Amino acid sequence: MLLIPFRMPQTKLGLDFILKNPLHLQYYKIVFMKKGSKLGEFEEIVILTVGILGDNAYGVTIKDEIEDRVRREVSVGALQTTLRRLEKKGFLSAKQGDGSASRGGRPKLYFSITPYGKKAIQESRDVRNSLWDALPPGLLNEIA
Amino acid sequence: MKLPKTMNAPPKWPFRLLKLFCRKEYHLDIEGDLLELYERRVQRLGPKKAKQKLWKDVIFLFRPSMIRSILPDLNTSPMLKHHLQMAFRHISRDKTSFLINLIGLSVGLTAVLLILLWVQDEWQYDKFHTKDDRLYSVYQNYDRPTGAHTTVRTPTPLATALAEELPEVEQAVAVNDFFQWRNSLGLLSKDGESVEAKALMASHDFFEVFSFDVLTGNSAMTMQRKDLIAISDQLAKKLFGSTEEALGKSLEWDHSGFKGLFQVSAIFSAPPQSSSLQFDVLFSIEHLLDNDRWAGNWTNNYVRTYFVLSPDTDIESFNPKIDQLLSSKEEKYRSSLVFAEPFSDQYLYGRFENGKVAGGRIAYVRLFLLLAAMILIIACINFMNLSTAKASIKMKEIGVKKTLGASRSSLATQFLTESILMAFMGITLALQLAYLLLPFFNRIADKDISIPINPSFFTGTIVLGLATGLIAGSYPALYLSGFRPITILRGKLPSLFGELWIRKGLVIFQFSLSLLLVTALLVVNDQIQFIKEKQLGYDRDNVISFQFKGEVYDNWSGLQDGKSNETFYRFMEQLRKTPGIQTASTISFGNLLDKIAGQSGVSWKGQTEEEKGISFKSPVVGYDFIETMGIQLKEGRTFSPEFKDHYHRIMLNESAVELIGLDDPVGKTLRMNGGDCEIIGVVENFQHGSLYDMIEPFIFRFDINGGNVLAKIQSGTLAETLPRLEELHEEFLPGRAFEYTFLDEDYLALYKSESQVAILSRYFAGLAIIVSCLGLFGLAVFTAERRRKEISVRKVLGASIYSIMHLLSFSFTKVVLGAVLIATPLAYWVSSNWLNNFSEGISLSPYYLLVPSVSVLLLSWLTVSYQTYRAAKVNPSRALQEQ
Repeated sequence: MLLIPFRMPQTKLGLDFILKNPLHLQYYKIVFMKKGSKLGEFEEIVILTVGILGDNAYGVTIKDEIEDRVRREVSVGALQTTLRRLEKKGFLSAKQGDGSASRGGRPKLYFSITPYGKKAIQESRDVRNSLWDALPPGLLNEIA
Repeated sequence: MKLPKTMNAPPKWPFRLLKLFCRKEYHLDIEGDLLELYERRVQRLGPKKAKQKLWKDVIFLFRPSMIRSILPDLNTSPMLKHHLQMAFRHISRDKTSFLINLIGLSVGLTAVLLILLWVQDEWQYDKFHTKDDRLYSVYQNYDRPTGAHTTVRTPTPLATALAEELPEVEQAVAVNDFFQWRNSLGLLSKDGESVEAKALMASHDFFEVFSFDVLTGNSAMTMQRKDLIAISDQLAKKLFGSTEEALGKSLEWDHSGFKGLFQVSAIFSAPPQSSSLQFDVLFSIEHLLDNDRWAGNWTNNYVRTYFVLSPDTDIESFNPKIDQLLSSKEEKYRSSLVFAEPFSDQYLYGRFENGKVAGGRIAYVRLFLLLAAMILIIACINFMNLSTAKASIKMKEIGVKKTLGASRSSLATQFLTESILMAFMGITLALQLAYLLLPFFNRIADKDISIPINPSFFTGTIVLGLATGLIAGSYPALYLSGFRPITILRGKLPSLFGELWIRKGLVIFQFSLSLLLVTALLVVNDQIQFIKEKQLGYDRDNVISFQFKGEVYDNWSGLQDGKSNETFYRFMEQLRKTPGIQTASTISFGNLLDKIAGQSGVSWKGQTEEEKGISFKSPVVGYDFIETMGIQLKEGRTFSPEFKDHYHRIMLNESAVELIGLDDPVGKTLRMNGGDCEIIGVVENFQHGSLYDMIEPFIFRFDINGGNVLAKIQSGTLAETLPRLEELHEEFLPGRAFEYTFLDEDYLALYKSESQVAILSRYFAGLAIIVSCLGLFGLAVFTAERRRKEISVRKVLGASIYSIMHLLSFSFTKVVLGAVLIATPLAYWVSSNWLNNFSEGISLSPYYLLVPSVSVLLLSWLTVSYQTYRAAKVNPSRALQEQ
């Protein structure tokens, strides 16, 4: 069991949370969060894309990147919803940046992966990999 | 922020939609993303496609997680403290405005409170019975050529029949109020001490049907036995000092209907004021049957019947069963229809027209509720007016706040808080005022209302205060928070298009209303004065009327059975001899005002078919009636002892003579009541009843055995004569109170509702005027603000203070004149309509229309003068500086 001092969204320091909550509540929250840490396919894609883009991950760039690589249309609504949800769950963190003329001066919201998010995608990859490794050797060769 | 207007300026509407539903936290960044995408798409796909995609994006953003919460962004606790702080600072900065606003609101709220209290009192009459929802009152209709006549009287055996034969009836009771014996007041005495008591007779289920609290004793047994009575706690205390003492004691009962010794076996708490059934003592209904040989028949209506229906019975489907029951008992002489209505409806819906319920007091209730709503609306409108008039003071504050990023909703909340605070202060003040005014109000409205001290009342007032604050404050909140900082910082005052006209319209409306009320006040008061002084053809000054409380038998109630009226004849003799009494007479029942006996079925020689059905007014009078009433004799003679008049001698009035078409009436005969009656004299026409009644044909019948006495007192001798009458009354009827009324007062009582209207209109006119002046005041302030620059420029160009005052006043005068133009024809129309109801009255001279208009005009000048003076005095350099 990993005792992760995960971050509540909108609080700056995870330390805050630890200091405020006794250990057993942390545990409960972690278990609870653990259930939520099952990533959906799209969610995983979004997190990975954010990782790829690094410093330049905001609404438009994320959408472009996904459409580029995954070759499927991403609706602004679906993307935004997912981004917010991931932020609430603690996988991503958001920071406001400057606006630009093309946006009429409106700021951009940059996303980056949190350590908790990193752990989550890593876990996901580990699980996936172990499944792949367990496939009988000959099977893959038959798939054209 | 305004978007740059370029060729491919993005379409507004998708963004507006987004702004509407999107959560605030996300809104800006999402907007930015959408903009970026739009710009790009325009270049790649062209503006049309870009727009389509934009719309699609926005619509698909409408997801639960994206939608903002409905409640305004209150950000409660810390903001509330700030709002209250600001509210208090606003108040202390401008105390006069605040006070004026508060007074206006309080006055309006007081009126509303009083009206609501009155309505509530009216509403719960008779509703205190526990079985109220199943309690019914039985009515009967008699079809007549003039329409169906509805009566509440029913045959005595009906109640028992209902209870026994119809399973849906749980209990039924028959109640008799002594009407056949003229009055229900009798004397209850114990050891020489006597008290007058109002009595009812009822059958044994009385206390099961009605919820009059039985304090001690056995009510069921009392109503079943003839020798037992139930008395009220008030009566018990009067006679015995306490209710415990009274139980089991014996009392003597003395009344013209029956007498006897009875034992008190139950004591109930006296009926509340909200009960239409009022009584001090209850007897068993058996006494009615014992003392009146026709009382037990199915052909006569002697009692009122009430019953309790079992739950879940539908009254509509039940009614025909009552009808069938009656038919099974008495087919020939029964009424045309018998039906039941809910008992508690009787007070407010007691008027019947042509056999159907047609309103009654409920009309007044509705009227007053409407009035209350109107007053509240006007008070709120005034509040709105005054709050937004002095906008310039708030301008800077709003401008700065908005620039610093305050949201519109938080500003609106600020103003709402202020108005709700004001409303609560207003309603507290209103409660105090209402409490103070309640005694006066009670006197006018003839009631006994007091401020109820219960939680539901306080909740009600709090809700009222909240509602008022919200309604009245909504417009100013929205209006003031909508200011754009740019406009404000430029020094301009924002104005809605047509705002000035809206305000002017409101003031016109208020003044029109005031004018109407003042005119109504003048007209009604003068008409009542006219009525008071109008000669009616009989002399009602110094005439008293009273009921002889002893036994007076007539041909139907005992004279035939050997009873005699000796006592009564002696009384009348002594009365006539009393110094100070000019003449005295009797009338069998009623008077010339509102209860006049009628006579139909009269026939004469040469009568046509239609004339057979005519109904004459036909009071039954004794000797000296014409003289006592001061009616003028035209031909022949009046009833007098020398001629030993009897039942077959009659007198007519001019109208009757004309109707029948007699040339020489004296000596001729008419056939009525199965016999021929000789006309012995004709009197001049007089106005009976009120001026609402038309002059009708009269046939005066004669019977010396009438129980209502009329006596004309020599003018100027009232002070000596009345005590003598008291003594005489005491001699003949010891222990009975001598209760009399003056005929002129009785006459005025016919106009009771008009008098009430006159008094009320006085207050409401005053109220309307105060409110209108407040409205005008607000308008003045508003105008002064808006026209500051204009005034300053004029001053610079050399205008004097007075000329500016004239200028401003003139615009207000136009407003008031507008109100006059609207109100005057309306007032004329309403007044003449009302006056037409009377057979005679004052004429509507221009006086009634001029006086209100002129006085209102003067008052309005007074109101605005101060404001115009202040506005004219403003230093022009200051106003022009604010560019």
